[in-house]
Amino acid sequence: MFKKILIANRGEIAIRIMRACRELGIRAVAVYSDADKHSAHAQFADEAIHIGPASPKESYLNADVLIRAAITSQADAIHPGYGFLSENASFAAAVDSAKLTFIGPSADSIRAMGDKAESKIAMKKAGVPTVPGKEGLESFAEFEKAANEIGYPILVKASAGGGGKGMRIVWDANDLPEEIDSARREALHAFGDERLLIEKYIADAHHIEFQVFGDKHGHLVHLFERECSVQRRHQKIIEETPSPLLTPKLRKQMGEAAVKAAKAVNYYNAGTIEFIFNPSDSSFYFLEMNTRLQVEHPVTELTTGLDLVQWQIRVAAGEHFPYQQGQLTQRGHAIECRIYAEDPANGFLPSTGVLLQYIEPRGPGIRVDSGFRAGDTVTHFYDPMLAKLIVYAENRGTAIQKMQAALRDFVVHGVVTNIDFLQDVLAHENFKDGKVSTRWVEMNMESGGSSRSQGVLPKERQQAVGFHTLIAAALADFTIANRKSEIINEHDPYSPWKNPNGFRN
Amino acid sequence: MKITLDNTAIDLTPTGKSYRATMGDKTVDVEILGTQDGKLDLLIDGERITAYVSSENAKRWVTIHGRTVLLTKRSGSRKSGQGPHHAAGELAAPMPGQVRAVNVSEGDTVTKGQTLMVLEAMKMEIRIQSPSDGTVNKLFVKQGQTVEREQMLIEIVDRLES
Repeated sequence: MFKKILIANRGEIAIRIMRACRELGIRAVAVYSDADKHSAHAQFADEAIHIGPASPKESYLNADVLIRAAITSQADAIHPGYGFLSENASFAAAVDSAKLTFIGPSADSIRAMGDKAESKIAMKKAGVPTVPGKEGLESFAEFEKAANEIGYPILVKASAGGGGKGMRIVWDANDLPEEIDSARREALHAFGDERLLIEKYIADAHHIEFQVFGDKHGHLVHLFERECSVQRRHQKIIEETPSPLLTPKLRKQMGEAAVKAAKAVNYYNAGTIEFIFNPSDSSFYFLEMNTRLQVEHPVTELTTGLDLVQWQIRVAAGEHFPYQQGQLTQRGHAIECRIYAEDPANGFLPSTGVLLQYIEPRGPGIRVDSGFRAGDTVTHFYDPMLAKLIVYAENRGTAIQKMQAALRDFVVHGVVTNIDFLQDVLAHENFKDGKVSTRWVEMNMESGGSSRSQGVLPKERQQAVGFHTLIAAALADFTIANRKSEIINEHDPYSPWKNPNGFRN
Repeated sequence: MKITLDNTAIDLTPTGKSYRATMGDKTVDVEILGTQDGKLDLLIDGERITAYVSSENAKRWVTIHGRTVLLTKRSGSRKSGQGPHHAAGELAAPMPGQVRAVNVSEGDTVTKGQTLMVLEAMKMEIRIQSPSDGTVNKLFVKQGQTVEREQMLIEIVDRLES
């Protein structure tokens, strides 16, 4: 087993990994940028090494500096967390070359899954369902023929694409010529490459992913699904398991497909196979594989009883993963809400500032993974996720109730958060019915909190809350100094100052 | 005492051990049951309310029942016609209380927003903060001393003047 691990990350995930290290009796080395000198993760570690300026490029993305820090601190292994260099094959290879262990899959597996077009080809070959589509089309006649074969609606995508550029949804054959022309122009402009591909467009798609886990001895299982359809700007905000859409039969089929997909690239350690799921006919298609630990791994931990980060470390050290597929079960229901410093009423733009108050909820079945404390500054340099609030309960209904209660006890002042927005989503009928597709936020809640007032609190209650809020703010205003108060109570017979005994009792 | 938050004026009148709060045609009794670091336990018209309140210049963050509201305090129309006048850098007690802590000495350099001393009043801590960067010219009170409303506490001289 390793004696010391360097964590090439920051924030909540760095702390999460350090906890696992501590539990396993391994020393944890943090790295920090100029902006993170006082961060919780640097303080939590056994050692902390400064790696450069605030800009991620010069610090958390600087492979050379990170590897040098690991060597200097005499660490045996590097855990990349998620984001930053976690899915960078060259980094994984460089860690190996430096005679350190990369806690994750092999560089080859990362590379094989990193290229979206190539991974799709590999998956097709392995017999994993992929979104029906066609590549290498040139003439309009070819596009037309392929579109008719696939069936409308279709998605026209730039081959070199990303970020929605050169992407068009075509609902009707009559619109195809115009949409192809415009997608081509946009693709050429954005990527210098006008090649397009077309795919079946699934209108009310859900995002359902499967956790896979393997050791270095060829043993690999899946750890069931996570439903991650509540998204804004293609980023997940609520994740849960089990998915309300899956039957045991579907779960088995998708789980087997996930294992097949991972085995096709000789995968080991923790990984996630993302599927697009079509609720209208229960079809599912491979979307991509994330070759790292996911943000939302806690919901899987709570329902399977496994500590994924501990196991990542153990299998990286060469241990066997001891559980067979048949021994693994899901128990109860877990939901995660990502608490972001962002303003839902303002296009979910990040909000920065000093955390004037930061109080996390507590109670049975409540877990908070966070990297902030009261007094910390939320900067614009890094992801605005403050914390992950995870609850665990017997079933979906009680888990939702527990999440609602826990969110109510989460107090953050100094930056605007999405807490109220999350409450609105949880309280929505569509969410309770499990009918939230990946475009649901965009279609139903686009103005952020606009639907907040409806159905959440009765009108009278809202007014009362408003009055109470004003009273509290006015009373607390005494604590603001340098203000000449107009309060007159020198003649107050009940004044505590006139009481010689301890009035505070 | 009248305070305007966003566009709503609220009037707080001490009535002995509690306050009467008036907003428009509505009036309620408010009792402070306890306070601690930005947390107020209140009894408003018989209902127990826990409020979290933070201040940042004119901004007031308030959370009650899990809903957070951001208010802006309007430095209203009231003119300082009544009450004693003080020089710009002279800070007076906003309400009667006891000096819990004095964090600075005469001659110290202070920065804007720095907590100079802490008063305790009505079970609340009142932080007396420096209005500007400057120097402590004069301290009028000591720790443990009881002060009256408007009593001079400290004088800060702007750095430029010193």
